[in-house]
Amino acid sequence: MSAPNVRVLYIDDEENNLQAFKASFRRQYEIYTAISAAEGLKVLQNIPIQVILADQKMPGTTGVEFFKSITDTYPDPIRILLTGYTDIEALADAINHGDIYRYITKPWNDLELHNSIKNAYDAYKAKIDLRNKVTELEKTNDELNRFIYSISHELRAPLVSAMGIVNLVKMEGLYNSSGEYWSLIETCSNKLDYYIQKTLQYYKNNKIVSENSAVDFHSLIPDLIDLHTYSDKETTFTVNIDQKEAFYGDAFRIEVILGNLISNAIKYQKETETNKRVNVNAVVRREAVEITINDNGMGILNEHLEKIFTQFFKSKVNQGSGLGLFIVKEALNKINGKITVSSNLAEGSTFKITIPNAK
Amino acid sequence: MLNNNKTVLLIDDNVVDLKINSKIIKISNLFDEIITCLSGEEALAYLNKTLHDGGKLPDFILLDIQMPDMDGFEFLELYKTLPNRLTDHCLIAMLSSTLDFGDIKRAEASLHVIKLLKKPLILKELEELLKKYFTR
Repeated sequence: MSAPNVRVLYIDDEENNLQAFKASFRRQYEIYTAISAAEGLKVLQNIPIQVILADQKMPGTTGVEFFKSITDTYPDPIRILLTGYTDIEALADAINHGDIYRYITKPWNDLELHNSIKNAYDAYKAKIDLRNKVTELEKTNDELNRFIYSISHELRAPLVSAMGIVNLVKMEGLYNSSGEYWSLIETCSNKLDYYIQKTLQYYKNNKIVSENSAVDFHSLIPDLIDLHTYSDKETTFTVNIDQKEAFYGDAFRIEVILGNLISNAIKYQKETETNKRVNVNAVVRREAVEITINDNGMGILNEHLEKIFTQFFKSKVNQGSGLGLFIVKEALNKINGKITVSSNLAEGSTFKITIPNAK
Repeated sequence: MLNNNKTVLLIDDNVVDLKINSKIIKISNLFDEIITCLSGEEALAYLNKTLHDGGKLPDFILLDIQMPDMDGFEFLELYKTLPNRLTDHCLIAMLSSTLDFGDIKRAEASLHVIKLLKKPLILKELEELLKKYFTR
């Protein structure tokens, strides 16, 4: 039942108490004693103490004052206060400011005190273990994130060179020179690039701290539509923006969310549809912005509606990565946004998102 | 229209990209002369030598960001210290496969840099950029 490597510091202005404590506990603990708060501090500076006992009533600095004074400099040791009298005010103060684990009335009972020290030591160990685990997890998480980030960059550089070569082939009029091989290479490269870009978006959404800035939907939404219709001019967009209030929010994530929804609305059109259209409506209010993106595309099967936001879910009919809506959902989670979807195969899909105004 | 005896300097550690981009520029006929350097150090040596010889200085530099040893931003720091008769007339566009907003902002905040162009280099984007800055 001995735990000889528990280092206990006992501070008391009465030498007799210090001696009595030593006599009772020297076999169980590694004991350090001090006759005043100042002496106690000297011990703390030199020895990694795990449990501190301090008498409340000492001339100069009281036990509570001593504990308060070391909350920032020595936050780890667990504190036990010894009081010769039940001074409620001192106790309340101690618990509020000095981070006291227990208080024990004097004269102490050896068994009670022993148990308290033992429990205090367990609390100390749990605290340190938890902190080490958290540090370890943060490090692993960070490494994993950095790995994803740098691998995506490293993968993208040569891919982008390949895309550059395809561009050059087009410029030199050789694109159709070997059947459809060049166009197949282009399709594959674009698809791989899309995956890499989604991976980077996912990484950034996880990593980047949310920062609020003014968002002007009058310019953001048309910009995003331009960006995504660059390679597809068949879809007609109708945009309605009602923004009279200033809106503050996480511009990066809002861009990711809208970008993915707009690109989906274009991508999941019916091939046979001659009048492909997408409506984007945004209404900015003092509390939140509400945006609906509605298309007359292929729609979503009822039984798929619940799964579309999960990672790597894709329907059989098309070429999605299974990442877009998952990233949308993750990004919305980070900024307390909401999304709902209604869809049927005849009329198309409507996504409705609400993002709080951080103004 | 743009090409009246203009020179472009390409700086990129990636031989393939250097080759692709020189070819694109050659086909586009945007510049008369194309000079390529495989590192920031090589480019600085070239610029210093040309300044010293009184040779034809570049009008435009396409600068890759991710390079070993001296990266694009470090090159810019040293470029700033070169004589005005180069830096006053020569424009720089940075080139990168990055999708990082931080890099884009940082690049476009630098003196002398007019834009960060994304790889792969698209001729239309380059033409529009040059039209905007070189039309007189």
